[in-house]
Amino acid sequence: MLNELAAKINAAVAGANAQVLQAEDAKCESSILVEGTQIHAVCAFLKSSGSMNVLQAISGVDYVEHLEVVYLFAKFDPAAPAQLLLKVRTTDRVNGNFDTISDLFPAANFQERECYDMLGVRFNNHPDHRRILCPDDWQGYPLRKDYVTQKNYNGMEVFPEGKMNMADREFIVRQDMIKKAQEAAAGKVQ
Amino acid sequence: MMNKWDIPGSVEKPTVNKDTETLRSDLLTLNMGPQHPATHGVLRVEIKTDSEVVAAAIPHLGYLHRCMEKHCENLDYRGIIPFVDRLDYLASMSMEWTYVAAVEKMLGTEVPRRAELLRIMTVELQRIASHLMAFGTYALDLGAFTPFLYAFDEREKILRLFEEVSGARLLYNYIWIGGVWNDWDDAQLTRVSEFLDAFEPETRKYHTLVSTNKIFIERTANVGVVSVQDCLDYGATGPVLRGSGFKWDLRKNQPYGLYSEFDFDVQVGDGEHGVVGDCWNRYIVRMREVGESIKIIRQVLEKLEPGSIMGKVPKIIKLPKGEVYMRQECPRGELGIHLISEGTDSKEPYRLKVKSPCFTHTSMLPLMAPGQMVADFVATIGSIDIVLGEVDR
Repeated sequence: MLNELAAKINAAVAGANAQVLQAEDAKCESSILVEGTQIHAVCAFLKSSGSMNVLQAISGVDYVEHLEVVYLFAKFDPAAPAQLLLKVRTTDRVNGNFDTISDLFPAANFQERECYDMLGVRFNNHPDHRRILCPDDWQGYPLRKDYVTQKNYNGMEVFPEGKMNMADREFIVRQDMIKKAQEAAAGKVQ
Repeated sequence: MMNKWDIPGSVEKPTVNKDTETLRSDLLTLNMGPQHPATHGVLRVEIKTDSEVVAAAIPHLGYLHRCMEKHCENLDYRGIIPFVDRLDYLASMSMEWTYVAAVEKMLGTEVPRRAELLRIMTVELQRIASHLMAFGTYALDLGAFTPFLYAFDEREKILRLFEEVSGARLLYNYIWIGGVWNDWDDAQLTRVSEFLDAFEPETRKYHTLVSTNKIFIERTANVGVVSVQDCLDYGATGPVLRGSGFKWDLRKNQPYGLYSEFDFDVQVGDGEHGVVGDCWNRYIVRMREVGESIKIIRQVLEKLEPGSIMGKVPKIIKLPKGEVYMRQECPRGELGIHLISEGTDSKEPYRLKVKSPCFTHTSMLPLMAPGQMVADFVATIGSIDIVLGEVDR
């Protein structure tokens, strides 16, 4: 079924270069990889041809050597239900960008914002390109594999050392307190 | 800031010239939430109002963001189950089952029949509990306090049963990879049956009290109407999609577990009051689904036979290289789990993405709000029944 769909996409969209990524294990799912520059045209074809009518989510994956955006499509048709994993890739970790599909599927509006927030992939012509789950002035993209949490945020320490839940740290604090108490008691006696 | 007339030496005094003074007629920005009782948690909606009419609504999310997807990348496959519990904390059983089903699909585990039936029973009980919560809080949003108490009374009985069998009232960690954690004994199953017998007449009371109440119908009928095409474009699922009259339920259309063996109907909004796709129809779909869940649980109780509740699962779970996208019908819509494993060297998932139905429904608020009164907007937020734990993840 995926091979047929890939052939259809290639016939309809010039330069889509759709290829099926066959799952190595039979229990897993196969997907279709297309050229990143043609994603808008491919999604327009999927919608107009009726192959898929619902965009369920946009997921992003950081494979370190490339960033991958996975469009999770479904077909809500009681006669022939289906789902599709459509992928695009970019190797540019700084300025990786794709065209938005929020004009075709309004569901993509929030999903693309989330993908940008979490993975740092940009979407051209997006109507409201902001972060969605993290604060607007947060630094870094949490779901990247090389993500390091920022030390300070608006003057607050993100992981304050004194509040880390470490048993040995608590033990040291307690020893300090005991020592202090002993010194105070000795001072009183003198 | 200093006014002009406060500056020393200035003799100009403030005068109100009735002729030149014009009333400001631009839009007023109003913040609804995040500590607003009608927003069901920590949702903040920035609304632009023209007097009492909402001109635009912009949802601001993230007040409950814990980045559980990142946490899951550092946990083994069993350790993730308590984390998915905390997505939709009003329907934890459904969350667990979806995640566990994704792992089981990649692992190729066979789940014993009794465990499958117990899963369906717990999830359907959970659906009733979740819809009761939706019913109670929705009536509360619209100013009726009593239905909330009735709903919590019945919900409490379900939570008691879950507490006995799993040890927890909300976050169960009950459905495990390969089966379920604990078996229900005969006395507990009898109590389920007794609960259903007592609960079914109760639901009729709800319909008399609320569903056909004139004030309730006035508040909800013809309010917040969405068409089927909008629902599909925005990716809406569950009672929101069915309330618009589209007959789609994964339990029926793409049956998972043993759902294909069960006899039940998919309830859609029929426009008995108001028009199809409005708040009343979304509400009534939930209430009618409670009846369908009762039907399913009764069939489970008939089918249950003694047997094993845990399939064969390796001690340390390692999944093959690949990915799955698993969807299931949860009380609030379709939950999807996109799970990627890097291969059998790794005990943790490479990536776990949660497709949350409530997140999708929240994105519909800017579509539904314009032109509504503020009070109707409250009714609209209540009718899509969001849980912020799932929206923000």
